[in-house]
Amino acid sequence: MSNRMSNPMSSSSAARSTSAPPATAPRLVSPYNPANAVTASRFLTLPPFLWAVHHGHYQIAAVAIVVCALLDKVDGLVAKVFDCRSSFGELFDAITDGVCYGFCLIVLAVYGWAPAVAVVAALGLGGLNSVFRAIHIKRVGRPVNYKSYAMERLVGFIAYLVGFAVARYEVTYYYWTFLPLMVVVVAHDAKRMLLDPVPPPPAADGATSTSELVAKEGV
Amino acid sequence: MTFVPHAAIVWFVTTVTMALSSAWLVYDSWNLWRLRGADRKDPLVRDKIFGYVIGVITAVVGIVGVLRYHT
Repeated sequence: MSNRMSNPMSSSSAARSTSAPPATAPRLVSPYNPANAVTASRFLTLPPFLWAVHHGHYQIAAVAIVVCALLDKVDGLVAKVFDCRSSFGELFDAITDGVCYGFCLIVLAVYGWAPAVAVVAALGLGGLNSVFRAIHIKRVGRPVNYKSYAMERLVGFIAYLVGFAVARYEVTYYYWTFLPLMVVVVAHDAKRMLLDPVPPPPAADGATSTSELVAKEGV
Repeated sequence: MTFVPHAAIVWFVTTVTMALSSAWLVYDSWNLWRLRGADRKDPLVRDKIFGYVIGVITAVVGIVGVLRYHT
């Protein structure tokens, strides 16, 4: 998962100067921007991936998933270059991650390249996490994506799981090691999103709390 | 349809996994080290610590997987 909102370079100077006058209202960003276009283009890698797995061309499947993963990194870069970061973009990126990697895992399980039980369990946990995120948005009352540092790392691992299955590389070990980690992270994030206090609305400079201002300083 | 020998793919995956897992291990260990003096009552700090610990575990899982494959 790329990190479109975690290091907002444009607002860091404002965050440093807490005595500065309030900034103007946050810039509105159209959902039809270059970063979201790159994110959407990741779906184009899925048909070649399916075709390659169906015909047993594992090297082509590997290329397709590598392109998908690279585009995931590029969209964050494009968002920074074109200054089009947005809450919607971050959410769209997370949804695209889920759809792309979920699709690949299902294909691999169906064709017997990955353990089906582990894949179904991982996807079930991913779906549960999405439901928790939707409930969190309702609780907060605005489109906000709970930033889970742990889930970001596991999503990177999921991309790897696809690669390991395609290359037939310690598949059983990696898939079954992933599941307990996923359970722990989903439980932690559920507690944070559903039980902990709702974060306050964003300030004019985009920071939501003192702790977020500290986070922008890179602690 | 194959472009390169399977052994080359295996060594490519080995190299990339070892390199990224090692870098990930160092990066998240460094992040944890930087947070050692932070206020742990702050939920954001706790989220970060949890995330970095998961990152370290994930990196170790990656390295162990490579070692398992080659032993």
